[in-house]
Amino acid sequence: MSSSFLSRENTIAGPGFNRFLVPPAALAVHLCIGQAYAFSTFNFPLTRLIGLTDSAPGDWNLKQVGWIFSLAIVFLGLSSAVFGTWVERVGPRKSMFVAALCFGGGFLVSAVGIQLHQLWLLYAGYGVLGGCGLGIAYISPVSTLIKWFPDRPGMATGMAIMGFGGGALIAAPLSVLLMRHFATATSKGVLETFVTMGVIYFMFMMIGVVTVRVPAPGWRPSGWVPSEHPKPLVTTANVSAAVAWRTPQFWLLWMVLCMNVTAGIGVLGQASPMIQEMFPGRVTAIAAASFVGLMSLFNMLGRFFWASTSDFIGRRTTYMVFFVLGIVLYSLVPYFGHIGSTALFVAAFCIIISMYGGGFATVPAYLRDIFGTFQVGAIHGALLTAWSAAGVFGPVLVNYIRAYQIDHGVPKAEAYSITMYIMCALLVVGLICNIAMRAVNPKFHHQGAVSDAAPTGSK
Amino acid sequence: MKARLGIMWFVVGIPLLWGAWNTLQNALKLFQ
Repeated sequence: MSSSFLSRENTIAGPGFNRFLVPPAALAVHLCIGQAYAFSTFNFPLTRLIGLTDSAPGDWNLKQVGWIFSLAIVFLGLSSAVFGTWVERVGPRKSMFVAALCFGGGFLVSAVGIQLHQLWLLYAGYGVLGGCGLGIAYISPVSTLIKWFPDRPGMATGMAIMGFGGGALIAAPLSVLLMRHFATATSKGVLETFVTMGVIYFMFMMIGVVTVRVPAPGWRPSGWVPSEHPKPLVTTANVSAAVAWRTPQFWLLWMVLCMNVTAGIGVLGQASPMIQEMFPGRVTAIAAASFVGLMSLFNMLGRFFWASTSDFIGRRTTYMVFFVLGIVLYSLVPYFGHIGSTALFVAAFCIIISMYGGGFATVPAYLRDIFGTFQVGAIHGALLTAWSAAGVFGPVLVNYIRAYQIDHGVPKAEAYSITMYIMCALLVVGLICNIAMRAVNPKFHHQGAVSDAAPTGSK
Repeated sequence: MKARLGIMWFVVGIPLLWGAWNTLQNALKLFQ
């Protein structure tokens, strides 16, 4: 594969190209990197590599293995922030290709680590290399999709980012199937599973690499004319990535995303013990695992549903719904636990998690509205540091408050009530930031030529 | 171009539907 094939110039769509090919290309990439959400399926097998059935001397423990995923998420945020401008410059094809090399390569380096029983190779492989692949792949298709779908940016990015939520639904059963297939009397089959998944994911991401195109300069969807009276907060100007982080709008959006994600991610990580402890004796561990799966499904569906809805009701209104409805549902959860209604409890969390996913999927279009299309991918990359912060803050908050209450004699079934009210408070902060959102001051607008273009002839 | 479009959506749709179906089947256990 020559470098010219990967260059932005050779990715420009020719006449007749159907823009609806771009969302599945992006989806092919995001479905792969969504595997990260299912990495926990490897946690136990990785702690039994020597002992097989029980942990033996020399086996890694869960705490050590847990760092692999944490590192991957940290490097996702860092790499998307650091490489955002590079991704904008080289285009989606080259960046997707590099991401595929990093993500697939991360699995292979980790497999070597398993073979040699060297944990640092898993940290370096899946954690650092794979994490960089996650970050670059996550932002690669975003600005391209926004340029292809100026009429429906929320729907387009929602389709791609839906894949990140859906990737776990595929990876969890796939990992279990592969480990079962490769397991022998002397091996858990983890090494072979890592190699196989590295190869499969690299090849699947290549489908996106080969298919993706950027619109030619000046291109617009046929029959679409930009409104002469754009909605409030939807700009026709552009703000560069280097300037965007100096605006109050960037930090308001950072807080909006961080609060929305913190509220969701805290309970997502604790969903299984939470439902078992709030309904003692009524929800088994197997049923709790089903609850986690159901939340993953709503996490995925919410990404498409809410991002598409935002095209009609506006980005700020969509986040208003997230925060107001989130506050209502979080404040009702303790009551649902009190009356013993599993169905209402599950329904409330499915809606909450759909809004958690919706927050991720709607934010690229929100950025486009506020900062224009010029370097929206790079700005999106920088904004994802809010995710990294929330990834640390959310679970720590939930775990600490729960432990504190239990230590002070609060029954386990009631230990989550305070947590829910604190989640409400976080959402109130997000709501205030969202209400405070205004258009960017024109002094921050980019004055030079904007290179993203649009051609003619495509559908 | 339409055939290519159909193939692309098929290729990404099948694993997604497989994953969603697996999840829904397991989710039924929650209400049994």
